[in-house]
Amino acid sequence: MELIGEEKRIRALFSEARFADEQTVPSFAGAWNRAQAKTVRPTRAFKLSFVAATALLICSVLSLAWWSRHWPQNHDAVIANFPSTASETIQVGQPANNPQPAKVAQHHRSDRARTLQLAARRQAVLVAAGKKTLRDAKAIESWQSPTAKLLDSSSDGLLKSLPQLTQTVKELKSFLGDQPQ
Amino acid sequence: MDIAELKAELETLHSASFGWALQCCRRDRAEAEEVLQTVYLKILEGKACFRGEASLKTWLFAVIRKTAIGEHRKNLLRKLRWSDSSEQATLISPQERPGVTFEKSETRALFQNALKSLPRRQREALHLVFYQDLSLSEAAEVMCISIGSARQHYDRGKKRLRESLGQTESVYGIDWRRKENPGAV
Repeated sequence: MELIGEEKRIRALFSEARFADEQTVPSFAGAWNRAQAKTVRPTRAFKLSFVAATALLICSVLSLAWWSRHWPQNHDAVIANFPSTASETIQVGQPANNPQPAKVAQHHRSDRARTLQLAARRQAVLVAAGKKTLRDAKAIESWQSPTAKLLDSSSDGLLKSLPQLTQTVKELKSFLGDQPQ
Repeated sequence: MDIAELKAELETLHSASFGWALQCCRRDRAEAEEVLQTVYLKILEGKACFRGEASLKTWLFAVIRKTAIGEHRKNLLRKLRWSDSSEQATLISPQERPGVTFEKSETRALFQNALKSLPRRQREALHLVFYQDLSLSEAAEVMCISIGSARQHYDRGKKRLRESLGQTESVYGIDWRRKENPGAV
């Protein structure tokens, strides 16, 4: 019985609260119209972050395309400015009687030229490396110790030269002949 | 159901919806209005679509509840981000904020305080049953839980509310008697 009474009391308190809330309910029309205005308002088609990311992507793609287009030309220019010895070497390497076929396409020609230039460059590098090795070998051969002079003496000729066999016997005989028997 | 029909139905439910939104927003009137407006916006944009699987009232209340939870979460994140500005906001209690319903009746204030002391689910179950006159199964549908859980929340909530109201009344009675006769020992 007491529980039912308590429940009734709670219900009464809730209905009192509802009554108080109903006095302060905002108008439905106002809330609805505001919501409608929000839907009518044109929404931004894209976000700023999206635009920034897209712009960055386009820039990177364009720069990559530009770089890939211009880099081979720069590379060719570098090869073209390579020392003339390289081109000479390649000329030597090529057979003398090797005329270019007249009907080769333009792009094939450029590819071939590029290949030749690369080969020339490689050969030039190899030649340079060989020269350097030769120089190093010569330098090692002519190297002398700085303290070598200190070891020199007057009897170096005697010690370093081999005596001739006959000469030694002659000298011994003469020495023994001079001695009194 | 076309939008004009839905609008008429929503208008009849507007008062109850506002009461439920208030409950979901811990009696913060401004937040409740914002939530209700967001719900109407969702309906207009077709983000919340009534398919007739439940009654319009339970569907609308479920939408309001979810929207209120979402808004509360957003506000919390906002407060965390702008900690400087939120410091002032946290210092002011909801009762002191402008736009929050001022409880004139003392009994009502005590009741609201006792209700606030309950856990959210228990508070929601009691509100839906006593305030909105929904059945327990409808309340369970709104709260997106099973009827068994709803019954448990309802029973526990009722018990705790009774205890809380009894405590506050006894405290109030002692205080009142002391004020009435301060000379008595």
